[in-house]
Amino acid sequence: MALLAQIVVSGVLLGGLYALMALGLALVWGVLNIVNLSHGALIMLGAYATYFLFTGAHVDPFAALPLAAAALFAAGYLIQRGILNLVIRGPMFNTLLITFGIEVILTYLAQLWFSADYRAINPRYAGSSYTFGGVTVPLVQALGFAIAIGLTAAMWLFLLHSRTGRGIRAAAQNLVAARLYGVDPKRIYALTFGLGAALAGVAGGLYGTVSQINPYIGGPLTAKSFVIAIIGGLDNPFGVVVGGLFLGIVESLTALYVGPTYRDVASFGILVLVLVARPSGLLGRTA
Amino acid sequence: MRAGNPARSAARWIALAAVVALLAALPWCGNAVLVQFGISALLLATLAQGWNIIGGYAGYPSFGNSVFYGLGAYGVAIAMAQYQLPFWVGMLLALGLGVAFAGLLGLAVLRLRGHYFAICTLGLALVMTAIVSNLPLAGGNIGLVLPLLGNAALFYELALGLLVLATLTVFWLARSRFGLGLIAIRENEEGAAVMGVNTTLYKVLAFMLSAAFTALAGGIYAYYITYIDPAGVFDLALNVKMIIMAVFGGPGSVLGPVLGAFILSVISEILATKVTSVASMFFGIVIVVAVVFMPRGISHLVAHVRQAGWRYFVDNVRAHRL
Repeated sequence: MALLAQIVVSGVLLGGLYALMALGLALVWGVLNIVNLSHGALIMLGAYATYFLFTGAHVDPFAALPLAAAALFAAGYLIQRGILNLVIRGPMFNTLLITFGIEVILTYLAQLWFSADYRAINPRYAGSSYTFGGVTVPLVQALGFAIAIGLTAAMWLFLLHSRTGRGIRAAAQNLVAARLYGVDPKRIYALTFGLGAALAGVAGGLYGTVSQINPYIGGPLTAKSFVIAIIGGLDNPFGVVVGGLFLGIVESLTALYVGPTYRDVASFGILVLVLVARPSGLLGRTA
Repeated sequence: MRAGNPARSAARWIALAAVVALLAALPWCGNAVLVQFGISALLLATLAQGWNIIGGYAGYPSFGNSVFYGLGAYGVAIAMAQYQLPFWVGMLLALGLGVAFAGLLGLAVLRLRGHYFAICTLGLALVMTAIVSNLPLAGGNIGLVLPLLGNAALFYELALGLLVLATLTVFWLARSRFGLGLIAIRENEEGAAVMGVNTTLYKVLAFMLSAAFTALAGGIYAYYITYIDPAGVFDLALNVKMIIMAVFGGPGSVLGPVLGAFILSVISEILATKVTSVASMFFGIVIVVAVVFMPRGISHLVAHVRQAGWRYFVDNVRAHRL
């Protein structure tokens, strides 16, 4: 029973991070109708930004997160403004394909600059943990979980109440009407993609503190983010949290009861089953 | 090959037959490296042509074709390495595995559209490595070793024959009721259904046809390379290559994917020997540039750039930008 409780807690902590990973993907997908296959590569870049700020400039990894977010925001803004805005009215397959091309370029640039070595972000307090009634909670994972949930709530408030957030929602609902009300679509689209990239950057920094990083982690992380967005739907950030927690718990349980090599089989098995049974997502709107 | 000009059409057929004859003669004139490169280029062209059927004609961007390739490779490897059966029996097994799997999978996932279909097949491609790694019959993680034949010219001719067969099939497809039905599905699926196209049947058949050529290419590859493992043949990067080659050449055209595969194979081979650091990024750069400036591929470019000139590229950007 204690073991099961421990597994569920680990799954929940992992799930918070997964939710943050998927949040940026779901935002870009919902507003721009682009499934950003380079999302995982942006997570990877966020992890490297945090890693180099920590090892090179001795910035605490959690203090480095806003810097990583800012860097990724700039990168995302430029990618949307310079490349994706050029093809966004083309067929859906073209935007899917072009983000895949960006993924390949970013992955190999990372390999060129950072080498293919495995790296990990290990601050002094990396090993500390707290124990509550037989269940161990590692400090770093708990902090990551809190940041992930906090950012999701902040994102929700931003979309609901800020002027820019309302502009983003307007552009997602009806671009023509939004334009008539003074929304500049080029700017709003670039801002949205930049926000998605910034969320990926923070998620990457947190990922680097709990797991090893290398230039190739992007692909599977994109696919996992997609699974979560499918489960949670695109309407509301809290759907993504539910999807993230669900996937985190399922993966932890599978690793324990079936075997660690089947972890990814479980998550993508869920993807295929959910899509076949409910193509619009478990909690989502119709496609 | 437009109708109404028989002389021109005949000239094109003769030119194409001459190109095929020249390619077939290559093992007797060229060196071993060239034959090796030829086998890989011909197999990639076959994969691009196979993808063209489901992705180009039916408009369903499959990221799962690498699964059929892996199944084909394992079909031949299991028959030859585990049961000591001859190569042609292995090819039959490869064909059966690929087509049967495509039929079952197609019934389930071809109901999905656009992004959903693409990512669902992508997810499947990602788990196949893990599943096959856990099968003792397939040699698990370690893979299987096949008997060595050491006759590169034979594999070259086999690959060329398969490519010609695939291309003739697509040529027939483009003119048949079946192919027109697929194009109708791509352009407007509801409309096609209303006009009496059995969309489910057509899509599943297209998926199976696509899988057949892909699995046979995988089978030839397995016997040629003599050693396969799960990560090597269920490689998503291969699926990406076939998509890029088909899209670069011109999806939904008969010769475009073959042309795209040859051009990109040559360029990436040259880059790999001269500037290795750019070579790995090459396919990414091709995707970005091709989608922005020539989203309908080489075959459309060749047909239209003469009248439009540089305006062709500008017009493409103008048509799709925000």
